Amino acid sequence: MTTVADALTGADASTAAEPAPERAGRPALNKVSVRDLKFFYGDTLAIKGVSLNLEANRVTAFIGPSGCGKSTLLRVLNRMYDLYPRQRAEGEVLLDGQNILDPAMDLNLLRARIGMVFQKPTPFPMSIYENIAFGIRLYEKLPKSELDGRVEKALQGAALWNEVKDKLSASGLSLSGGQQQRLCIARTVALKPDVILLDEPCSALDPISTARVEELIDELKGQYTIAIVTHNMQQAARCSDYTAFMYLGELIEFGDTQRMFTSPTQKQTQQYITGRFG
Amino acid sequence: MADHIVTAYDTELQTLGRKIAEMGGIAEKMLSDAMDALVALDVDLAQAVVASDPRLDVLQRDIESASIMTIARRQPMAVDLREIVAAIRVSGDLERVGDLAKNIAKRAVKIATEPRVPRAVIGLKHMNELAANQLKDVLDAYAERDVERAQAVWTRDSELDALEDSIFRDLLTFMMEDPRNISFCTHLLFCSKNIERVGDHATNIAETVFYLATGDTLPLDRPKLRSGGSLVPTPEAQDEP
Repeated sequence: MTTVADALTGADASTAAEPAPERAGRPALNKVSVRDLKFFYGDTLAIKGVSLNLEANRVTAFIGPSGCGKSTLLRVLNRMYDLYPRQRAEGEVLLDGQNILDPAMDLNLLRARIGMVFQKPTPFPMSIYENIAFGIRLYEKLPKSELDGRVEKALQGAALWNEVKDKLSASGLSLSGGQQQRLCIARTVALKPDVILLDEPCSALDPISTARVEELIDELKGQYTIAIVTHNMQQAARCSDYTAFMYLGELIEFGDTQRMFTSPTQKQTQQYITGRFG
Repeated sequence: MADHIVTAYDTELQTLGRKIAEMGGIAEKMLSDAMDALVALDVDLAQAVVASDPRLDVLQRDIESASIMTIARRQPMAVDLREIVAAIRVSGDLERVGDLAKNIAKRAVKIATEPRVPRAVIGLKHMNELAANQLKDVLDAYAERDVERAQAVWTRDSELDALEDSIFRDLLTFMMEDPRNISFCTHLLFCSKNIERVGDHATNIAETVFYLATGDTLPLDRPKLRSGGSLVPTPEAQDEP
């Protein structure tokens, strides 16, 4: 169990008491290290010095009541906040050792390496094919045949290929909500990112689409490092390897998911996940 | 701990707790009544013990189905999840304790007409008191979520095992003294096994209480007083092919 204290001192999340069997024998690699992160909306301090690591090829879930700062934290991880005035971050966020909060960071390249999927599906008003190809073209110049391959691979990676292969020229908006969300995941995957951020990706989806996305998360973690914000505790318990509980801008508890949902150490975590929050 | 935001959730958990308490009370009474019936060869009391077992079975089923419904409805987490798992386990153990007490009572009816060996019952009575104490302690530990008390029960079970050994020797002696004692003493032998099993269920409950309160499990190996030369096969030895 990594306590808040451990997290604050930057202790390795892999020192969790009971490593899962497949985790044993392989040194944990921290893809992303957040160090003493503070975030301001104008004068309001929304994240109050959070430190934690996202382990490579693992799913880390962020839970907590609305306004606790979990989505804000996700927005910091690919500097989405840069699009807005009067928002700023302090501290360090290291991606493979490189501080992404550095003003010299190329944001376009950063967002290609750290992709994000939002709560509401956001397909572009163009064909299914173009939804994927558009992003790839921004970063790479590929011959048509190769581009076709990339689009197909991305759609397969997002478990959508079989459903759309015969109507690639149909509008992305013609798909169902669940399919649109998987299209957005495909769009993210197409850029071959290192990290995928999912901000409540299933909150607008029906249970079947949710199950598909969860199945997809499980497949994707073989290749990507994943962070997911969710209000659905069972989803966090099902999908993630590590869980972080945030409250009022602070990281209250961070540790092995199994441990977090059976015997959390902090009273606030306990109260939140058991539905006792005042 | 604070109440749930959903009041009905608290009510469901409280109902589970109340039913476990009722089961515990019935099981304790069955155990001590069964032994009283055995000592006094009181057939009426023995039959009353047998008659109270169905209530225990009904309660166990109620607890099980209520637990399943709560899991389905609330998707319990952390301490709530442990509480429901504990209720299912403890009710199972108590139901078994009832069966074992019922078995002792049935034997009391059977041996009522046999030639008696009064001194043979003394050790058994003592053993039963010890088991009844263990049961009482562990049920209190459950009600209070008292880890230390549960651990004490867990450790003390080895005394019951040792006592079973010594009763086994005594009964063998009585049987060798006079073959007419064999039928009576054989029934008592089964009774001592039953009581030892009651102790095992108390130990199971102790482990459950420990898990419920801490989220951790007690070690697999329990301290044992029994020597390697025990006359009574240990459960592990029985499991061997």
